[in-house]
Amino acid sequence: MTHSPVIEISNLTKRYRPADQLAVDGLNLNIRQGEIFGLLGPNGAGKTTTISILCTHLQPTSGKIKINGKEIFSNQLAIRKEIGFVPQDIALYEQLTAKENLLFFGNMFGMHGKELKSKIDYWLNAFGLEEKAGKRIKTFSGGMKRRVNLIAALLHEPKILFLDEPTVGIDVQSKNVIIDYLKEVNKKGTTIIYTSHHMDEAEHFCSRIAIIDYGKIITKGEPKTLIEDCNGCDKLEDIFLKLTGRKLRD
Amino acid sequence: MILKLKASVKKEFLLLIRDRAGLAMLFIMPIALVLIMTLLQDSSFRMLEEKKLPVVILNNDDDVFGENIVEGLSQSKFFEITVFDETNTQGLKEEVAAGNYLIGIVIKKGATTSIRKNLNKDIYHQFPEEITEAITLDTTGAGATVKVDVFFDPVLKNSFKHSILSALREFSSGVEAQIIYDTYASLFQELLGVEMKKPDKQHRLVEFNEQYASNLKQATVPNSVQHNVPAWTLFAMFFIVIPLAGNIISERTSGVSLRLKTMPGSVLPSLLGKVTVYFVIGILQAFLMLLIGVYLLPYLDLPRLDIGHQWLAILLLTMVVSAAASGYGILIGTLFSSQEQASIFGAISVVIMAAVGGIWVPTFMMTDLMQVISKISPLNWGLTGYYDILLRNAGIGDILPQLMLLFGFFTGNITLAYYYNRNKEG
Repeated sequence: MTHSPVIEISNLTKRYRPADQLAVDGLNLNIRQGEIFGLLGPNGAGKTTTISILCTHLQPTSGKIKINGKEIFSNQLAIRKEIGFVPQDIALYEQLTAKENLLFFGNMFGMHGKELKSKIDYWLNAFGLEEKAGKRIKTFSGGMKRRVNLIAALLHEPKILFLDEPTVGIDVQSKNVIIDYLKEVNKKGTTIIYTSHHMDEAEHFCSRIAIIDYGKIITKGEPKTLIEDCNGCDKLEDIFLKLTGRKLRD
Repeated sequence: MILKLKASVKKEFLLLIRDRAGLAMLFIMPIALVLIMTLLQDSSFRMLEEKKLPVVILNNDDDVFGENIVEGLSQSKFFEITVFDETNTQGLKEEVAAGNYLIGIVIKKGATTSIRKNLNKDIYHQFPEEITEAITLDTTGAGATVKVDVFFDPVLKNSFKHSILSALREFSSGVEAQIIYDTYASLFQELLGVEMKKPDKQHRLVEFNEQYASNLKQATVPNSVQHNVPAWTLFAMFFIVIPLAGNIISERTSGVSLRLKTMPGSVLPSLLGKVTVYFVIGILQAFLMLLIGVYLLPYLDLPRLDIGHQWLAILLLTMVVSAAASGYGILIGTLFSSQEQASIFGAISVVIMAAVGGIWVPTFMMTDLMQVISKISPLNWGLTGYYDILLRNAGIGDILPQLMLLFGFFTGNITLAYYYNRNKEG
């Protein structure tokens, strides 16, 4: 893992008209190449907004963002070739088969032919879905859908992978398979930015985390260091609750 | 771009053929509509056609007036005349009331004699005494105007009533003129010893010169098939709004749209893929409906649809209508956030456009105000184009205004959808 920042965020803000409150409020963050970076926070903290801006889907209100030294909105085409995005929703066509979905998304990345088909076969095998390749997504379990959802973002071998709550609502076995393969992908050099509500998962999966609340980063660092530096904290969840409070969020 | 467009078209095609309910709505619904509506409206349309009206006449006048009325009406191309073989008026009235005839006419006994006597009485009033003393004209019983009874079936439109009454007045006037001429000719001979020649019946003092104001061939009223086949084809083509809008919203709510927006390149291939597939669906719908009009409807005792020789005009008009419908579907899918909203609004808006545009009730049967309002409906533009082609053998040049309006509707909708989307993401 090198120490050069692959993502540089300076004074990022985002306001959703006509609301007065900022969804992202002056966020500053550098993410190093090869990291598995966790962006944690309660509901409405600004995690998904931040990820959406980094994926170039959403325009910020102000601020600068660079990926691999390139400003993201003036180099949108080049940036999008280097990133992969796994949305929180199962962003697949339910009436198409797993293979048909992956062929379509692979084509939309500009991939085709034997290269695309061999990658689809590889990933379906890796995630234990080879026998289900010809079945429609609507027949899949939640865990199976999440796996296909992830594969669709891995086909083009992105250098940076954004995942918005990739393991929500799935069984433990599926979660473990996903986490294990994400670690494999990371070992090959892909930087991973990951949002989650599962603190224990983030604690063991992420090399570094930032806790975000009301659009601002309230703390960041390596999970182990943060726990050690926090009085009375045994785990990341304790730090999280200490910093964000126990009050319910809408 | 080509690879992405091909992938998008393939994806949309697979989604469409696996949506059986959607396919049923797109193809079975319009077939059912065209069959049912054509059958329902056929009798009404036949009334509008220039078919002969069935008329029964009881002529109790054995003289020129009655004979001329019967002969004049019999020679008219608008009336099918039956001479009543009984002598009582009540019997004829019952025939009309039973619906066996639309019009019944009773010419009373002695009508011609009464006309002559009334004319003789007028002559005695008009001429000075020194003249009337020298002539002898029969005026016994003169006075009351001769009445011809005309009975109408209540369902008969006013325009047809006026037609028959105008015809009767015309023939009556001709007979009266003939009687007047004969009486005066007789008077001239009696008073002056001059024998007048009979006028040439073919020579008319006034002729009416009929011409058509436009370059298109004779304007005709469509029959039920000529109206309903294109009308319900248009309705079906615009109903793709619902599956197309639902498709777009489904992609947005499922997150697929978000995934696509983070991929390299524009969203254009994805959008074009949808437009392409639904565009082709629209053309297939039209093709199927035309086939039904030509080959199936005659088996139901309905007129056969004659599509003429303007194939290119039909194809071009169909393509532009299909594009217009697709564009509208994209706009609806962009504006609304749920499939329920899009379905309800899409369906109701298409029904309203169809009603206003003359799909349900043809525009030529509407009031003047509604005929003006109907011109705002894209379905009216399409229907006008089809009417011109099917009824008046119009070519591409003749339907250019409709083509331009429909294409403008397509580009307008796409443009609105694009800017709305851009501002929403702003």
